[in-house]
Amino acid sequence: MELTANETVAATLQVLRDPAGIPSHPVVFQVLMVFTWVFHMLFVNITLGSALLSLYAFQHRQNRHWNQLSQGMTKAAKVSVSMLIVLGVAPLLFTQVIYDPQWYSSNVLSAAWAIGFIFTLILGYSSWFVFYFKNHDGVKNSAIWWGIFGLAMFVLDGFIMHVLSYQALLPEQWLSWYSADGQADMSGTGLHAYQPGRFLFFMAMSITVLGAFLSAYAHYYKVREDKEHHYLTFVNRLGRKFTFAGLLMQSVTFVWWLFDLPEHLQALQSPLSWGILLFMAVFAAIIKGKQSREMPASYFSLAMAFGLIALIGIFREALRIHYMLPFDYDITDYKVMEDIPSTALFFMTLIGVGGLVGGFFLTAIYKAGRTQGMYQASKQVSQLGSAAVGIMIGWIAVFFLTGIWVWLHNV
Amino acid sequence: MLETLGLYPSWYVPVIGSAWVMGIIGTIHVLASHTSVGASWLFALIETKAVRENKPELMEYIKKYGVFLLVFSYIIGSITGPGIWYAITVASPKGVGGLIHNFVWVWAAEWVYFTVEVIGVYALVYLIGKIDPKTHLKLTWTFALASWATMLLIVGILSFMMWPGNESWYQTGSTLDAFFNLNFFAHLGLRTAFMFAIAGAVGGILAATMKDKEVRIEITRFLSKMGIAGVFLGLIMWMWYVQTLPENARIIMQTQLPSYIAPTLFAVLAATLIYFAWSAWKPLQLKQGFAVAMTAIIAIAGLWPEERSRESIRKPYVAGQYIYSNQTIARDVEGKQIKSNLPQIAEHGVLKTHPFTPVSLREVTETNRLQAGEFIAKVMCANCHSMENTGLRPMPQKLHGSTDVAMIKAYLGGALYNGTVPYMPRIPLPEFEQQLVAEYLASLSQPQAAMKQLTLAESR
Repeated sequence: MELTANETVAATLQVLRDPAGIPSHPVVFQVLMVFTWVFHMLFVNITLGSALLSLYAFQHRQNRHWNQLSQGMTKAAKVSVSMLIVLGVAPLLFTQVIYDPQWYSSNVLSAAWAIGFIFTLILGYSSWFVFYFKNHDGVKNSAIWWGIFGLAMFVLDGFIMHVLSYQALLPEQWLSWYSADGQADMSGTGLHAYQPGRFLFFMAMSITVLGAFLSAYAHYYKVREDKEHHYLTFVNRLGRKFTFAGLLMQSVTFVWWLFDLPEHLQALQSPLSWGILLFMAVFAAIIKGKQSREMPASYFSLAMAFGLIALIGIFREALRIHYMLPFDYDITDYKVMEDIPSTALFFMTLIGVGGLVGGFFLTAIYKAGRTQGMYQASKQVSQLGSAAVGIMIGWIAVFFLTGIWVWLHNV
Repeated sequence: MLETLGLYPSWYVPVIGSAWVMGIIGTIHVLASHTSVGASWLFALIETKAVRENKPELMEYIKKYGVFLLVFSYIIGSITGPGIWYAITVASPKGVGGLIHNFVWVWAAEWVYFTVEVIGVYALVYLIGKIDPKTHLKLTWTFALASWATMLLIVGILSFMMWPGNESWYQTGSTLDAFFNLNFFAHLGLRTAFMFAIAGAVGGILAATMKDKEVRIEITRFLSKMGIAGVFLGLIMWMWYVQTLPENARIIMQTQLPSYIAPTLFAVLAATLIYFAWSAWKPLQLKQGFAVAMTAIIAIAGLWPEERSRESIRKPYVAGQYIYSNQTIARDVEGKQIKSNLPQIAEHGVLKTHPFTPVSLREVTETNRLQAGEFIAKVMCANCHSMENTGLRPMPQKLHGSTDVAMIKAYLGGALYNGTVPYMPRIPLPEFEQQLVAEYLASLSQPQAAMKQLTLAESR
């Protein structure tokens, strides 16, 4: 019996799944994928926003507040790129687990761009580092080109990721992209599909998140006597303006994105779409209120921005599920080959190492950053440090004991 | 569609092949990441000395090296890490998929370490002098142990790529059996040794810039001792490592690797030992340019051939001796309910079973038979062979420039069909597809003749 086009695509997606199956229930990976993506996207937005602001501020550096802000944002973007890379690993990993057919096909079809992504990111980040090293008092105007090039590469890389993610949603078109003129095109040089509304929405989110980040920045440093009050007020005001403007831009581009979506997804009728619009409206109204009442800086906007990204993460995943419905692709029917030891390895590492070691590092940075001069660790922080060393020794000991036992057993 | 194979589209890179793209990114990553892990231990050891002996001046070196690492390892290393994933994804999607699905939780645990490591390196560098020394020392030791943990976790996966080393994993499908494979401990020892040696060499670049003479001598000698220990440990581990390799790997090592590799590696080893011995003896004579040159020599003449060899000796497999480089599943794995693709290929061929066969090639005619042969050849062979006259194991050269279709077909239907060449995959193409591939491969050495054939066919 002849299969319909959708049935053929559905069958292809099924056979492309890895035959080894997955070691835990698919929903576990789905939740982790969305959850870790939120952190990744937060830093993507902080990077793009702070990089753009640092360049703008650089051009106005005759004013000492702008000068200070340019230097601060250059550094923030530098650290943020590191974080976005490392935090991007997790959603990339979990995507490959449950959406491997989509992700791999999309990547191979634009392979040259996937590889180009790596090298342009290295070039962009290196260029940003040069800008960071140069951006000090007395810097020459020409230094800005390092920053512009860096930011341009970051935006290009964002666009490549956008294309790879979007192409993954269109399996019915893969074969035609691969064999456009009747022959297999194995060059991987094509970028086959993009969605302007979606891409610009994420760009606009950088402005919102930048604003929230600035407010948090002003709040964080307000206990430091060496940080001038006027400067922090200036930063906080700027933050609110950006958050408000970003939310407006996001609202427009979100509607654009919704109209770009295929009709069968019925995104305009989805409560989640309206929920996101409502969230942005409420967020904007609160910011406007804070602006008019000259409220002090706080972490509130950052928490709200995080909430917004989380909603977008859920929306993005809901879209993917609906995109896949015509092809009967349902992650919950992925073959599960339960593997308890490795599952335990991850969750125990996440809690033990992530919690204690990560907690120790972050606490040390947070406390020392808010202290003028040298920070003398409190008893609790000191104990946290000892516990972090202890958990690492314990983890490595268990690792080796288990390894030697398994190895000897098998040999 | 029940007969469809789980094959992805292919990415073909003329001349160098996708394998070299992967190799280049991999080598850069190994250099940056091993330097970083080795340096983290160096920091912990030097800082312990600084705290115990009350020598805060030693911290200046750690700060310098740390800032250097931020640029060198945490730009290049952290980008090329996921970069390897991207490279394997586009070069061998089935291979990376197999690894991900066997080791997802191991990789996820490694990601936890990556994250704390990145936070840790910023904390370590920027909190020198901003937090009390004892707490900073705890931070540095935690960072060193966490950095090494990333190596512990990735080595199990890399070793499995070579082979599990026994039948356990094929029967149980257990991640532990796959991870703690025969090759694991020797491989871990080898990489741990290398991390000390490379961190010692890179460390010289910064040590040579230290203004305080005493500090410079002390640090340089420390680096030399660490480097020499790394080289000797590496030699011992190498001897063990070779013993844990599968038969196909040993055959490739003995017969297929370029002849310059072994002498080059020995020369680099000797040069590294001399470099460390000399810098221990005359620490003040170590100049920055010389340390840069030594690092470059280790990377280009040592690491690149070593990584390339490691990739080569794994052939024809890409993972666990059950996935071939060309994406096909080479054997059943009961523990994971995985079935070999080879019976399907033998029965139906590639054109009928590949989900990405262009529609126009599903029916072979006189006009498209060369394209059909090219498609099959590239899907089955191009992961390891260039189809040009130069580059990665070029096919025309491997066939000695033969244009004899019957002879090539005899090879395809004989040794290749039955999988009797240890470093080649078994490719049991049906007779009709053998003919198509043979015609295409013959055309590579005689493109004019092929063009003529094509023109004739079109005119018919």
